[in-house]
Amino acid sequence: MSARIAVPVFPGTNSEDETLRLLRDCGGNAELVHWSQASNLAQYDAYVLAGGFAYEDRIRAGAIAAHDRMMDSVIEAAGSGKLVFGICNGAQILLEAGLVPGTGSIRRPTAAFTRNAPAPHFVCRHVYLKLAIEPARCAITAALPEDAIVPAWAAHAEGRLAATPEHLREIVTGGHLAFIYAHSTGAVDQAVIPNGSALGCAGLVNREGNVLAIMPHPERDAWNFNHLDRREGDDVLATSGGSALFRSFVQALVSS
Amino acid sequence: MAIGLKIPDNTAFTAALALRRLGIAVERVERSEIWFFEDEGSALIERVKADETIFNPNKHCVTVFEEAVPRSGEVWIEPLEPRTGGAAATAWRLFGPSEATLDRESLGAAAERLLCNPAIERAVY
Repeated sequence: MSARIAVPVFPGTNSEDETLRLLRDCGGNAELVHWSQASNLAQYDAYVLAGGFAYEDRIRAGAIAAHDRMMDSVIEAAGSGKLVFGICNGAQILLEAGLVPGTGSIRRPTAAFTRNAPAPHFVCRHVYLKLAIEPARCAITAALPEDAIVPAWAAHAEGRLAATPEHLREIVTGGHLAFIYAHSTGAVDQAVIPNGSALGCAGLVNREGNVLAIMPHPERDAWNFNHLDRREGDDVLATSGGSALFRSFVQALVSS
Repeated sequence: MAIGLKIPDNTAFTAALALRRLGIAVERVERSEIWFFEDEGSALIERVKADETIFNPNKHCVTVFEEAVPRSGEVWIEPLEPRTGGAAATAWRLFGPSEATLDRESLGAAAERLLCNPAIERAVY
């Protein structure tokens, strides 16, 4: 029996279907688990928190969801070493839950993906994520090559990493900076950062390497029909698309 | 000046439910936006109401403070990085049984555990 992946659905999650579909197309045994089924979550082997606006981002993006009963199971699972992957709003929830960067306590966040800068506007822009850690540092990225470039879409108004200088230092020195924004060539400069994110951060990993949070959506550049370098044969995975990260996630479950 | 909703505030209601789940004995939550103006007394309210940029008479109510400090049972959540063109803070006023405002200790717990992310915000009591 292959490892079971849960895609928790909070009220307001809106990217669960494409996330589920990509997990399955990459060979994962994934299911949606709605908030009314929270008691079922513990039985899964891994978790992918999809994008959206859980609880309408009330108070702050991810703040209410981080205290939802579903997150009780996800937090416990993360503590036991199970894989947890959050995308966009899922990433915001993981930060609010204190799971990433994980330099504080549970549900006591030390960083946030917050309002974009300098303009506090919603950004919808194609981006490239560059792996900024050794692939094996994070179980979810372990099957990617060094300096991997993953195409994705940034689609958020609150994706800028912000933290106090002390906690930003911890993120760097602790090896939590998993992905940074880059050009398709891998070159890095300020122009590629779509939201003013500190450190050019697009994704964070916890100390143990089993929880990964990224802001852009690789699942929105995965099949030929939504791949930036569009080709004929719509319904198949684009070889150079964002599915590489999902394949690595599924591969990690097979390996474990 | 605090601008709040006179229509049902779903965000405040959700905050109340989440705080109760955290064990904080809150019956009701009021939320408002705090704006600072350098302006003249009573004329200010009329100007804000007439302008309708930050105030919609169909859904908002406005309170002018004599001093720029939170009221009893209230915490202001301010961004660490000053914002331009927006409210200076979000005010959360918490009420317990019999409409009594929450004490400082409970208010602090509410801010630390839910209302304030110290990475980007500060709580003012």
